[in-house]
Amino acid sequence: MNGVTAIRALAAKSGVWAVYLAVLLLLPQLFDSILAISIFNQMAIAIVFALSYNMLLGQGGMLSFGHAVYFGLGGFLAVHALLMMENEAVYFSIAFIPLIGGLTGLLAGVFVGSFSTRKAGTVFAMISLGIGELVAASSLIFTGFFGGEAGVSGDRTFGPPLFGMDFFSDVDVYYLAAFWVFLSTLFMYLFTQTPAGRMANAVRDNPERAEFIGYSARWVRFISFCASGMFAGVAGGLFALNYEFLTDENLNLVTSGRVLLMAYIGGLGFFIGPIIGAIVLTLMNFLLSNYTELWLLYLGIMFLLTVLFLPRGFAGFIMMHRLAWLRGRLHTLALPYLLTGLPALLFILCVICLLELSHTAEPELHFLGLTLAQDSVLVWTGLLLFATLGWYLTKKSAPGLRRAWEAANEPEADAAQEQFS
Amino acid sequence: MPEILVFATLNGLVTGLLLFMLASGLTVIFSMMGVLNFAHASFYMLGAYFAYSISLYFGYWTGLIVAPLIVGVLGALVERYGLRRVHQHGHVAELVFTFGLAFLIEEAVQFFWGADTKNYQTPDLLDFPLFTLFGQEFSAYRGFMLAISLGIFIGLYQVLTRSRVGLIIQAAITHPHMVSNLGHNVPLIFTAVFGVGTALAGLAGVIAGPVLTTFPGMALVLGSIVFVIVVIGGLGSLPGAFLASLLIGLLQSYAIAANVGMQDLLDLLGLEFPRSHPLDDLWTLNLAQIAPILPFLLLVLVLIFRPTGLMGKREQ
Amino acid sequence: MSILSMRNLRKNFGATEIIRGVDLDIESGEIHAIIGPNGAGKSTLFHLISGKYSPTAGSIRFNDRQIENLSPFRINRLGIARSFQVTNIFPRLSVFENIRCALLWSSGYGYSFRHLLNRQRALNEETREVLEKIGLAGKAQIPAGEIAYSEQRALELGMAIAGGAELILLDEPVAGMSHSEADNAVRLIRRITEGKTLVMVEHDMNIVFDLADRISVLVYGKVIACGAPAEIRANAQVQEAYLGEAQAHA
Repeated sequence: MNGVTAIRALAAKSGVWAVYLAVLLLLPQLFDSILAISIFNQMAIAIVFALSYNMLLGQGGMLSFGHAVYFGLGGFLAVHALLMMENEAVYFSIAFIPLIGGLTGLLAGVFVGSFSTRKAGTVFAMISLGIGELVAASSLIFTGFFGGEAGVSGDRTFGPPLFGMDFFSDVDVYYLAAFWVFLSTLFMYLFTQTPAGRMANAVRDNPERAEFIGYSARWVRFISFCASGMFAGVAGGLFALNYEFLTDENLNLVTSGRVLLMAYIGGLGFFIGPIIGAIVLTLMNFLLSNYTELWLLYLGIMFLLTVLFLPRGFAGFIMMHRLAWLRGRLHTLALPYLLTGLPALLFILCVICLLELSHTAEPELHFLGLTLAQDSVLVWTGLLLFATLGWYLTKKSAPGLRRAWEAANEPEADAAQEQFS
Repeated sequence: MPEILVFATLNGLVTGLLLFMLASGLTVIFSMMGVLNFAHASFYMLGAYFAYSISLYFGYWTGLIVAPLIVGVLGALVERYGLRRVHQHGHVAELVFTFGLAFLIEEAVQFFWGADTKNYQTPDLLDFPLFTLFGQEFSAYRGFMLAISLGIFIGLYQVLTRSRVGLIIQAAITHPHMVSNLGHNVPLIFTAVFGVGTALAGLAGVIAGPVLTTFPGMALVLGSIVFVIVVIGGLGSLPGAFLASLLIGLLQSYAIAANVGMQDLLDLLGLEFPRSHPLDDLWTLNLAQIAPILPFLLLVLVLIFRPTGLMGKREQ
Repeated sequence: MSILSMRNLRKNFGATEIIRGVDLDIESGEIHAIIGPNGAGKSTLFHLISGKYSPTAGSIRFNDRQIENLSPFRINRLGIARSFQVTNIFPRLSVFENIRCALLWSSGYGYSFRHLLNRQRALNEETREVLEKIGLAGKAQIPAGEIAYSEQRALELGMAIAGGAELILLDEPVAGMSHSEADNAVRLIRRITEGKTLVMVEHDMNIVFDLADRISVLVYGKVIACGAPAEIRANAQVQEAYLGEAQAHA
């Protein structure tokens, strides 16, 4: 019995991994435009980076404001490796470039972790912030290595070809990135299943107790920290391959903040959370930044709303429905969701229109097939009216949704009734 | 040399006291609520921008009074409808919330005021040199900044040591869990403290805006430094925050003023290095260049060797 | 032969002296209860033995090894495990994971990142056995923070005994339990600590006199009496200093 379930679980697990691999390999076949490939490359980098961050915060309970340091240092070393190849100082396949990034991240992690992992909590967060600012500021001083404001650029095409790929095109880079993403994801997942990974969870929950079952909380944190730094470095190496170009922005607070955003919006408590976050934010980044100058504002609003209303992120939101699904009552939620969701959507769209209208320099705004004139009083009042209506209906239908939600998740009462009837 | 010293000290004091206006609010908020408010400097920025807009219509002096009030109300609203909600999800969520808020405020400022630097001017009334020393002028506005910050410092000290509310706040700083048992309306005090703290940050923005330039990145520039001060001074220690504010203010001011570099050091030691290494920038460094790094270096060192900070008692 | 011996143990917090020269020997295999009025320093004594605090003066020897300045995890690795007065578990991990974590070090996994936990058949089997023993096998997959209080106390016990430590320190194992729950807990303690040395702090005198082979009475940081339950009951000094007060409370 136990053996059978174990095999089944294993099969299910490896099934998930096979699908993951297949998706990674098929994506460029399904969407083969240059734009799509460039987005996939960005996603690949973001996934590894966000997963490495989750290793720290989600799994290990260490809130870092300086994770870009390991990403950036890995990236810079990788670009310098490309430069050395260009100068014919070394000659190897660029498939190993992410490894150079990873080793750099690991070394930086060993160094910083040796003193920063003594405590978690605020002290750790502050040290990470200090180190982050220190490295970012230093990068502008040591222009020989970091290239100052201009950054450092390399060329990925000087290495030997690999399986017939010369890495002139982004597709070649994509397949290489896909390989590293798959490997990194697999290793990071497996890490969560090892004694070191599980004790990281334990130390996150209760460092004192961990000490009384034989584990040094500091050493447990240190291991997670180093591993996390390493994978951040791998992501940095991938970045270097993809863009062939790094600047101080890649190791400053902006990048550190972005990875925190991705992991948090995706959902810290779940392994898949940061992957979702990385995909969603990369897509949003691309879609929104092409259409509106205000996309960072929307991103900020979305982030705050997530922290306020979905503390466990998108992944947590999806997982919230597991119970209702197991009890076969997920369908009962559809109508209440629509009743609340549609007015909420109306409200959001109206607010977006209002924001865009007040910001745009054009006389007209084209949105969802509508043409809205900026100087029309009718448009403004209409939008305000519809926004208010959306808000009112959302408010009004919310209690209904809550009731439906509770009914869908209620266990015993229903089961007992079914038995009696 | 003496003129450099005098001016560096004066400028350091101005910066230090200004920093303390931010750090004091941050410290009190942290002590009472356990929240390190990442967005604190964003309220400072809002202060500068509100004051700028008000000054366009009603002049500088109206802005000086009204802008901090608006910022304070905004701060209280954030506490009431944002922080309090996130509080139940723990400290990480709170920190992340304020981090996101800082991000959002920066974007909102760009939305409403644009990304360019605002021409926020010192009032004509104070546009004259206060005194001239060794041929260098010290502007009246800097003197005014010094006076305001000193006034706030003294006022704050009086309120905290003399008034009933001050005593409650002090009790809350040292014994955060006790106060709720005393029967005081703790949530209201929290909101009020947050409001006053952010209002102080706003006031700092109003008076610093014309000197340190009013632009969307001004929160980022100062934000981390204020954090550094609060941590170096010792989380939850007001005297520590005061000391650290002055320390950082003076340190940066001296570092910028002192025209000393690695080259001088090397010359002094009679050393010569070949200049062909990627790290050869190290040998041409001077103090002014590393001035921005100093606070963070200090932060990391303090956290490693004395995690309680200079005067803090609690290790967080 | 004594497994744990304390000599002239002292602990100050600032000017306050909490432990004021304790000499105590714990015999191998016995159940030793430490009783005393509130504030006598019982929990502090436990914190000293388990390494949460280091003593101001004096020595603690465990199996003839000085342990007074070791960190908690080193002391635990030598074979001393403990439970806590206030439930101290890993709330977000499942009940199963809590026990498995407590087994990891003694099973020799260390900080390994090469072993996959779910493939470690012996480890998982042992975890299941411990869960059976403490009666939580049915709740194995529930997050530990979500089970009932008395179940959390059982889990706390389970984590203390899981690593197979020679010496087990139980800090008020039945605190906050109802009578029937406490009876169950006592049966459980008896069953799972068979063949081990047990030191416990407990306020419930029925349980103390029922379980303990020997009792030490700690009053204001000093051991004023130590002996078999009958001796302690008869000791006039103890009655005056402690039992009298306890009766007054009841």
